[in-house]
Amino acid sequence: MKQLWWLGILSGLFIGGLRAMPAWGHGAIATYEHTITVFSKFDNGDPIANAQVVVYSPTDAETPWQTGTTNAQGEFTFTPDDSSPGNWEVVVRQAGHGKAVTIPLGGTAASSSQGLNKVVAGSAAIWGFVGTALFFSRGKKA
Amino acid sequence: MFTAPSQQLIGLGLGTVAIYTVTACSPSQPTGTLEIRANGEDFVRQGFVTKDGWQITFDQVLVTLSEVTAYQTEPPFDPEQAEPLQAATLVTLDEPVEVDLAAGDETAEPVLIKAVDAPAGRFNALSWSLMPAPLVEAPLTLMGTATKADQTILFELALAPSLKFTCGDFIGDDRKGILEPDDTAEVEATFHFDHLFGDANLPADDELNQTALGFNPFAKLVTDGSLEATQADLQQQLSEADYGKLQTIFSGLGHVGEGHCKAERVEVIDRGAEEGAE
Repeated sequence: MKQLWWLGILSGLFIGGLRAMPAWGHGAIATYEHTITVFSKFDNGDPIANAQVVVYSPTDAETPWQTGTTNAQGEFTFTPDDSSPGNWEVVVRQAGHGKAVTIPLGGTAASSSQGLNKVVAGSAAIWGFVGTALFFSRGKKA
Repeated sequence: MFTAPSQQLIGLGLGTVAIYTVTACSPSQPTGTLEIRANGEDFVRQGFVTKDGWQITFDQVLVTLSEVTAYQTEPPFDPEQAEPLQAATLVTLDEPVEVDLAAGDETAEPVLIKAVDAPAGRFNALSWSLMPAPLVEAPLTLMGTATKADQTILFELALAPSLKFTCGDFIGDDRKGILEPDDTAEVEATFHFDHLFGDANLPADDELNQTALGFNPFAKLVTDGSLEATQADLQQQLSEADYGKLQTIFSGLGHVGEGHCKAERVEVIDRGAEEGAE
């Protein structure tokens, strides 16, 4: 029975943008992006697809910074703004139930990675999920 | 004016005795108005059809909330993790408050429990207790009508869960609890009564309907077209399995919007009985 959600976070670096310099010499430019992937699944391993996702930045806890839905594998990826250190929040909702995960980012590289490790270890969010795979409006009063 | 966390300020409201306590860090912290609300959602105000086909309408859904506390937590509290709630700022209602979740029509706001002066900041956790006697006989009373085919049942269920709900941040279409100086914000204790009766809009094999009690077990207890039962009555008259299910359902009633809560049993100590025994 699809009873529990597991919500995890994977942080990754995307390295790209190698390109040649103009004619006056060899050169290359490497750039990177820091991405966060949130993935959710039921306790039987089935991904939670098409769940509503809202990302909030540390600078504004009230206004959605990015919205989207999980893909067929229950994943949602975003690239946080590295100029906004602090607690990034990701809220995942489906069928009248939801879960928020806090992702601390920023500070020194060491503290940031430690923070991420703690988040990955500590944010495997498991909660009792009731409902269907369809987005279900509870008819609640906001 | 607010004092250090080891001390408490007793707030005065409405010219009566102290009704809430604020604990905050900074004596000069700006404040706003925090509205603490309760919501039974459209299930309570508009009624719904249970998993076993009963059309339920509520006349009253009385809830007595005790030890209502709103917190500013850092790190943000997660009720599904082992880490305890850590709050530098909190606001606690000192007295239990009874509200009717069925009051108002479908356009009404969630029911106001209390509006209090509170330190500005982000209230991202909420807790409250449902505690029976000696505080109140039944902290949760459901009164209404159940109709199915040609049968109509007037019911009054005086329920006595003894639970503390500790919840994280509100989850819904909008965020709540972000209190700016001289402004107003709200936090909400949400009650999901579809967990008790199920929902005909969901498939029968849906997790919610599988774990809900429905109304049939209550309908079997009806005499002369009506049902009036206390928690003790239900313990005697429901099957052991159904009563056990009811106890489990109580733990799932409390939410913050769509966000989940940790539910813990609380023991209510009758100080008066203890002193009388001595």
